[in-house]
Amino acid sequence: MLRIKNLHAYYGRIRALENVSLHVRPGEIVSLIGANGAGKTTLLNSISGLIPCAEGEIYFEGRKITGLSSEKVVAAGISQVPEGRQIFHPLTVLENLQLGAYLRFKKKEKKAIERDMEWIFELFPRLKERVKQIAGTLSGGEQQMLAIGRALMARPKLLLLDEPSMGLAPLIVRDIMNTTSALRDKGVTILMVEQNARAALRISDRGYVLETGRVILQGSSEEILNDNEVKRAYLGKDYKTFWEGREKA
Amino acid sequence: MKCWDAENEQMNRECLEQVQLERLQSTLNRVHKNVSFYKKQFDELGIQPGAVASVEEITRFPFTSREDLSNNYPYGMFAVPLRDIVRISSSAGTTARPVVVGYTRNDLKLRNTITSRFLTAGGVVDTDVVQICLNPALSSLGRVLKEGAENIGASVMPMSHISTSKQLMVMQDYRTSVLLTTPSYAMHVLHVMEALGMDADSLALKAILTVGEPLIQDTRDKLESGFNVQVMAGYGPADLMGPAVAYECEKKNGLHISEDHFLLEIVDPDTGTPCAPGQVGEVVLTTLTVRAFPLIRFRTGDLASIFRDPCTCGRTLLRMHQVTGHTGGLLTIRGVKVHPAQIEKILKGIAEDFTPRFLLHLYKESYRDMLEIWLAINEAIFPDEMKVIENTLRTLRKQFFQLLGFEVMIKLVEPSTLKQYGKPSGGVIDNRFNS
Repeated sequence: MLRIKNLHAYYGRIRALENVSLHVRPGEIVSLIGANGAGKTTLLNSISGLIPCAEGEIYFEGRKITGLSSEKVVAAGISQVPEGRQIFHPLTVLENLQLGAYLRFKKKEKKAIERDMEWIFELFPRLKERVKQIAGTLSGGEQQMLAIGRALMARPKLLLLDEPSMGLAPLIVRDIMNTTSALRDKGVTILMVEQNARAALRISDRGYVLETGRVILQGSSEEILNDNEVKRAYLGKDYKTFWEGREKA
Repeated sequence: MKCWDAENEQMNRECLEQVQLERLQSTLNRVHKNVSFYKKQFDELGIQPGAVASVEEITRFPFTSREDLSNNYPYGMFAVPLRDIVRISSSAGTTARPVVVGYTRNDLKLRNTITSRFLTAGGVVDTDVVQICLNPALSSLGRVLKEGAENIGASVMPMSHISTSKQLMVMQDYRTSVLLTTPSYAMHVLHVMEALGMDADSLALKAILTVGEPLIQDTRDKLESGFNVQVMAGYGPADLMGPAVAYECEKKNGLHISEDHFLLEIVDPDTGTPCAPGQVGEVVLTTLTVRAFPLIRFRTGDLASIFRDPCTCGRTLLRMHQVTGHTGGLLTIRGVKVHPAQIEKILKGIAEDFTPRFLLHLYKESYRDMLEIWLAINEAIFPDEMKVIENTLRTLRKQFFQLLGFEVMIKLVEPSTLKQYGKPSGGVIDNRFNS
């Protein structure tokens, strides 16, 4: 569905991504794992056209989308849920959701939009309860649900999730992960960046491990969860014993 | 057709090429980061592992030889710390030092998947009784096969070192349905069966899957008619990557390469340049999914050709034809790879500063490979005392058995006898294939 070949991206003169290739098949959840600054968000932003990619090719459903503007990427069927939600705080829940369907209003899909709104309320009953509430007054978890709901209003085939669990309590993280999993069951394909690598890999099919802008490992989620190198670096396990062992050696 | 891993064995070529590229890129990044041998090599040549934009660009990288493995003995080629290794497997190798391979838990799992592909393509199912007959020097290969067959759920008899007639008895009484062995040992079993007056119909055998040596058509025909079974082959540098880097399907027309796990190139053994499809050259392998012991462009010494036309079995994996013979003087005897230099090293051990002059005579006896070492007599080393000579020979035979896992004959000859063959010391007279 999504195929990236040899992607390079720069922030000014700093290389953020070096020769990254990855793919996402229809119906998959794929996680990008890596430390801060490894290039995970850059990768999502390159796909969605928020930052220009210097070199490389991005194909979505066989069509080259490299260099397309964000609007065109959304129209092609890719929506991003940005890091830190970035919902419109002064607006109501309903208004936020309507804005997510902005491109479709122009196409006069009013009926379909209403149907989708119902679908999103089914997925997140909390949003329905708070439909008139000002978005800025929602809890963190609710804001994340709203951000996802807003992205879904564009009816994407591929959803890019950037740090959906950031700043949320463990119980809420579980909710968000369950929702993500449920979304896949409803036919949305998902590419996710997540600090909470363990939680993300548990619901993913596959994962890629990024390190300083390069992919150093990929495989099924099970393989990555069981990889000692990854455990030490990103899953917070064995860290101490590992370094102690190294110093001795 | 049966596939163990249909999703990957029948992946469309475009997806497969994407997967290969991704895995190659991350493997190169990882070895550059974790293996000092590769880091040094890449940096010295100014190769950026992060700049590989296509699988074809692998040709920019240097080869890894068996010598390199020997120089980095024992753990120098490992890409993970020893604490991540769950198995260490060692074999004699073909250089001065043994080959030591480590596996992480994931590595073992993946290798089982690959081995199961080979066995499934060969018709093995969970109700089969599988008997493994291999030379002791191929024990790591035997272990891989055992695990692959267990992974399928078959009932497996691991290798045991009993006589061929006992193997036949087991085969008959235990209702063995699949035999895993080398082509030459299978031929020997056939010969012994006929000599014992046993009838192939008294066996429950349905397939013989061969490893360790190339399966030539003549051998396949004889085995298939002699045992009334299907015979299919697997290929792989057994000590490093297992027996199923490539494997035959029921079409028996070339071995499907596990391209999602190995990048296989065929190169001219002398110049190292890539060969055209169909042209015979040396097999060069790059691992794509291995964690603990990744190898970049490893020169196997095996000869094969690759061809690109699709197979009617439904697998999209390209196929290769293996041919008999090796590059760089490497020999395969009863499936065991050996270099004449290893034999020379043992002979040198007879006395200090001794330079042995010898030839290797290979022939077949009741279809089994036999090795006879013709050693030139030297008075300094072999005095007239019978007792001393006997002792020396016994020690040598013991050492050769440890190296090869089978009995070797040593014939003492006059230096002039060796000269008449016109070969340098260490030369090979191979009469195995002229019948």
